[in-house]
Amino acid sequence: MKNKAAQIYTGLALGILSLALMSRLSASDEIPGKKQSHPIALIGGTIHTVSGTTIENGYILFEKGKITAIGDSGTFPDSTEKIDVAGKHVYPGLIAANTRIGLVEITAVRSTRDFAEVTAIKPNIRAESAINPDSELLPVTRANGITVVHTLPAGGLIAGTSAAIMLDGWTWEDLTLRAPIGLVVNWPFMGNKRSSVSAKKAKDQKKRRDESIKQIRDIFADARAYLKAQEAEIAAGGPLHASDIRLEALAPVLNKEIPVLLQARSLKEIQAAIDWAMAEDLDAVLMTGADVRFALSLLKEKKIPVIYEGTLALPSRRWEPYDTRFTVPAKLYEAGVKFCISSRGSAFDAAHERNLPYQAAMAAAFGLPRDVALKSITLYAAQILGIADHVGSLETGKDATLIVTDGDPLEIRTQIEMQFIQGRKVQLTSKHTRLNEKYKIKYSRK
Amino acid sequence: MRKYHALLSIIAALSAGLTAPEAGISQSKPVTGIRENTPRVHALIHARIVQEPERIIEDGTIVLRDGYIAAVGAHVRPPADARIWDYSGLTVYPGFIEPCSQLGLPKKPDSVEKKTTKGTGYWNPYVRPETKIAATLEVKAEDLEKMRKQGFTAAVIAPETGIFTGASLLVSLSSGKLNENLLQTNLTQNIIFARPGRRNRSYPNSQMGVIALIRQTLLDAAWYQKAQRAYAVNPTRQKRPQYNSSLQVLAEALQTKQVFAIKSKNDLNTLRALKIIREFGLNAWLIGNGEEYRHLAALKKSRVPMIIPLNFPQAPAVDSPEEALNVSLRELNHWETAPANARFVNKAGIPFAFTTSGLTNPADFRKNIIRAITQGLPKETALAALTMVPATVLGIDQQLGSIDRGKLAHLLVTDGDFFDSKSTLCSVWINGQHHSITQVPVADPRGSWSLSLEIPGDVRQSKLSLTGKPEKLNGILSIDSLKIKLKKAALDIRRITLLIPGDSLGYGGIIRLSGEVLKNRLAGAGLLPDGQRFQWQARRTAGNDEPEKKRTTGKIAGKITKSIPHDSYSYGKLPVQAPVIFVKGGTIWTSGPKGRIEADMLIIRGKIAQVGKNIVVPANAKTIDATDKHITPGLIDAHSHSGIHQGVNESSQAVTAEVRVADVIDPGAIALYRELAGGLTIINQLHGSANPIGGQNSVIKLRWGGDAQALRLKDAQPGIKFALGENVKQSNRGDKFTSRYPQTRMGVEQIIFDRFKAARDYESAWTTYNALKNKIGVIPPRRDLELETLLEILQGKRAIHCHAYRQDEILMLVRIADYFGFKIGAFQHVLEGYKVADILAKHGAGASTFSDWWAYKFEVYDAIPYNGAIMHNAGVVVSFNSDDAELARRMNLEAAKAVKYGGLAEEEALKFATLYPAKQLHIDHRVGSLEKGKDGDFVVWSGHPLSTFSRCEQTWIEGRKYFDLVQDLEMQKNIEKERARIIQKILTTGAKSKQPKGKN
Repeated sequence: MKNKAAQIYTGLALGILSLALMSRLSASDEIPGKKQSHPIALIGGTIHTVSGTTIENGYILFEKGKITAIGDSGTFPDSTEKIDVAGKHVYPGLIAANTRIGLVEITAVRSTRDFAEVTAIKPNIRAESAINPDSELLPVTRANGITVVHTLPAGGLIAGTSAAIMLDGWTWEDLTLRAPIGLVVNWPFMGNKRSSVSAKKAKDQKKRRDESIKQIRDIFADARAYLKAQEAEIAAGGPLHASDIRLEALAPVLNKEIPVLLQARSLKEIQAAIDWAMAEDLDAVLMTGADVRFALSLLKEKKIPVIYEGTLALPSRRWEPYDTRFTVPAKLYEAGVKFCISSRGSAFDAAHERNLPYQAAMAAAFGLPRDVALKSITLYAAQILGIADHVGSLETGKDATLIVTDGDPLEIRTQIEMQFIQGRKVQLTSKHTRLNEKYKIKYSRK
Repeated sequence: MRKYHALLSIIAALSAGLTAPEAGISQSKPVTGIRENTPRVHALIHARIVQEPERIIEDGTIVLRDGYIAAVGAHVRPPADARIWDYSGLTVYPGFIEPCSQLGLPKKPDSVEKKTTKGTGYWNPYVRPETKIAATLEVKAEDLEKMRKQGFTAAVIAPETGIFTGASLLVSLSSGKLNENLLQTNLTQNIIFARPGRRNRSYPNSQMGVIALIRQTLLDAAWYQKAQRAYAVNPTRQKRPQYNSSLQVLAEALQTKQVFAIKSKNDLNTLRALKIIREFGLNAWLIGNGEEYRHLAALKKSRVPMIIPLNFPQAPAVDSPEEALNVSLRELNHWETAPANARFVNKAGIPFAFTTSGLTNPADFRKNIIRAITQGLPKETALAALTMVPATVLGIDQQLGSIDRGKLAHLLVTDGDFFDSKSTLCSVWINGQHHSITQVPVADPRGSWSLSLEIPGDVRQSKLSLTGKPEKLNGILSIDSLKIKLKKAALDIRRITLLIPGDSLGYGGIIRLSGEVLKNRLAGAGLLPDGQRFQWQARRTAGNDEPEKKRTTGKIAGKITKSIPHDSYSYGKLPVQAPVIFVKGGTIWTSGPKGRIEADMLIIRGKIAQVGKNIVVPANAKTIDATDKHITPGLIDAHSHSGIHQGVNESSQAVTAEVRVADVIDPGAIALYRELAGGLTIINQLHGSANPIGGQNSVIKLRWGGDAQALRLKDAQPGIKFALGENVKQSNRGDKFTSRYPQTRMGVEQIIFDRFKAARDYESAWTTYNALKNKIGVIPPRRDLELETLLEILQGKRAIHCHAYRQDEILMLVRIADYFGFKIGAFQHVLEGYKVADILAKHGAGASTFSDWWAYKFEVYDAIPYNGAIMHNAGVVVSFNSDDAELARRMNLEAAKAVKYGGLAEEEALKFATLYPAKQLHIDHRVGSLEKGKDGDFVVWSGHPLSTFSRCEQTWIEGRKYFDLVQDLEMQKNIEKERARIIQKILTTGAKSKQPKGKN
């Protein structure tokens, strides 16, 4: 016991030392987890598999980063490290489906913003290549049970491809669970801006809108032509065509290997974006807000899943009910539309992504069944992002990416006590806990 | 009371009935050619004379002489020297008065800010009451004609550049030099009660700044006069007061009780203008925005006369269901109610005049007045609003406003009732000069004719029908059953040209006719296609009696929707206080010494009478069954910007202690209702954090439905916003913001320090002055609202709420406060408060912090969610705030984060949103906990208040229920219904809808 305390203090001292030595923006002090070297069994807790039944007083066993067994009693290989989690709860790690994490450190400091490249059409941009593994935001987010984030590039009409990022690792390659996940398409604003600040004539707005839509259409037509020419070149050995990395990047989208992530918020945009994606014969995921409630039948008919960008936002129109944003997930659920719940995904939200579970909880308070609310930030998110073979639920064969808590992670008062990412035990400390400990010392000295 | 106005001599002379032999030309200009002296004596006989509403002569005579009315009456005999005008069948009205036009003013005035250095005006370029518009006025002839065509004969021209914009003029709308038409200068002093622009970099750029500027300027004007007088008495051995042309003018206006015409651009500012009018006892009239129906009671109470516009909105675009989503209920309501505005204003007994200003098409003026009458406005009132009311309010009723002997000859002549859309306006008389409006056609060929084409050897008889307008005729020729549409039928004075397709008459080509139009005969020569000439003539068989157009009689809007506020989520009537309320069962989180208990609660007349078990329940109690529910005190947010109208920051200056959030409360801001729905009952409305010393705060209870005053919680300690760090240094505002002092934290300290020193100096100046036994001839100190406010801080009467992040700046302000010997109310955000928690506790400052925000700018990179708990444990009074209208809806869940991060007991954590913010605002004697004697402000929760799965079910303030889930559903349904109803009305009436414009 004493030893452990000593360790903590040494660690703390090291932490403070490194704080003093390093530039403030350089690196987080948490050390990535060690590769799982031996089987680990969490025993005696309530296992919330999410995809199947919840097992009370059960166990979960994982080896080499993969879940190998779940049940109420079982035998374990000899080398198994047995961890008693009696009275605790085991959940799959939470998944944040709409973030800028890794691409921004401090919103207001330009030098720390890496999420929006210039130019309107940039399908070749890929989010994973600029993820900062030492961002202080990662451990802070992780500490509240979020293990995987979907990081998206922003800006322009086609922003680039997104990546599924695990919140533990030494390099961005270690961190990347899968990439590309989808191609971000920011659907142009379809209505008339009504605020007087950015007031432009309706005609000008429409002209600009039509130009933007044409740009999106054109790049896809160009990509088809490019791929056709490439095929012909390969088949016949020529004539040669110069390369175009923008168009090449669209191949997996055209081949339906990855979906377009349609960012469209007002009803008009939702309709137009879906019309376009269907006309182009693409797989599509809609990232949207409360207006989605007016498009339920369309989504169901076209089988388009939805990343719902948060309950914790205001209605956009004065006449709308105060709980407009809160009640949408229940409506999506009742309509049979596949959906998950995310935050709004702004740069500001990146630092506050740890509050994701409360977005889902608010939906549960306003009509969404509680188990579905949990799925909306675990299994459903994994399915929509195409990473359900790894994460999203506790099932044999999936990654041992999970959390141990003292209660429902959707409740604020719940503490996350342990976390594994692909079987690696990760630290739940962060810049925040370090500073907390540091100043505890200040006041303990008085 | 308005008789003091010096009229120009010409008017004086005319009014006195003297003859001016050279009338009609400039009185000082030498005659260079032949003099023109057409007699200016006219007798209008057999006219129906509407002298003023309800004073009508059915058959009378008006005698005009040299521009004034010499006689009017039923039995007046035309004088021998008069030119006689037979007005049989015509009606004569007093000429209309436009009370606030911008005729002849430059469309795009120069930027106000450029004029700062010239002249001897006020320091602030928006204060320019000395502006004289006459010198540069250039009224275009066509604009005058447009006004005359609507029946106007005189107009007030009011400058609109700035805030105190200058004095208005009264002109008659005759053509010619301004010298002839200018009836009066310096008529009203004009104020534009609106912020110059939110992007404006100079003071003021918020509505609260505008109001502060108006207030300080009026005080300065009063002081200026005192100072000048004192100096005149004693011009030696005291500092000479500066000359200031703006203050000079305003001082005179105040002293002479000149009319201040105050123009507001929205309904809330109209009410705020009333407050200023009352505060300074101004003789005013208010130029409204057409939404007066929303605030009839307040307007009625003030008894201030109004000018109301007639620019009714076009129907909102609702054809596409997607676009209709973006149309607000208020917009729909306004479309429906605007035409009835005048009727409602009249019914409330508020005297008003109409204005054409705001109309894009002046011709809409009469159309819209007629619409207002269709909506129930009495014609007599409408007429008065165009004549006697403006004349009386402006003090020009001796010259204008009615047809009476001695007044100026300003008349409108119509061929029927002005308010009947079928009548035509014929002419106006202005200063005795006749201006025709409608050109009566010399010849009118419209009607049916029997036409004879006398082609040699082929005489043809046919019928000709001419319809349309004289300037655009349509012709049809009928021969037996054959109907031939003429290719052309055109009239030029008396000559008509007809082109007849000749084919069906057996002539390939076009037959041309040309002839003279007489009353019942057309005759002339024709040419066949081959050039052969012939004679033709026609005899009239019928006159021009086209079927009348159907009159549009829009339905009367009926009653005003009696919703409060007049918009979405409004109550039918304000919540009533139940005399006795018994909250039965449930878990009560008292936030008081009793902690969390299973108990009942009794509230009598809005105050908590008892919390506990075994309460004797009075028979008349209204019982709330709270079994299995949780009850908490109403939540309190110590840092909010909700319900602040038109600018949260007066960001133009580093020190703006004089601006007051309380001046700009928007009681209808939907954020307030949404916050109620999350259990919030009190918010601290703070000025933004743009300035080291910001504006004064306002604490309100969310008594939704009340007006701005009804919301205020006057017990709260007066406060003021300060701010430190990146925002006030303008660090994150780009390269354009690098010159305002301060740009460093060092400068922030110094400017605050200096202003407090200034406040001390100010105090000394007044102490010295007040101690003088003989103040005669001594210039008094100038009242300075900024320094007065700062002095209140030094005197402990006003608390600082200081936005701060870093520990260094927190410590800095604590030390300044220590130096001057006052206590800081609360630090806001204070995200590094945990680093100096001991210092905060020792000083006694509160800490109103974010639960877990961080990393959005450099100065919050060290922010941690344990901040609240650490400061609390160190003995600081800590609250969690929202600073955000969305977050403010779930302050109970914010409180839960003090359990998560820092492990506080749940009851203690909840106090971060109840008792502790109440303490910070010094209202804990009334609210913040559920204890005997405190206000009955409470929330009913479906479950544990710190649980994310719980919902706020009811929110009560002082025994009145302001939010209720069931009631909210009801309101949602009503909104849907009301929206659908008005949208259907727009669609079915085919109202011309506006294309969605960029600007709303």
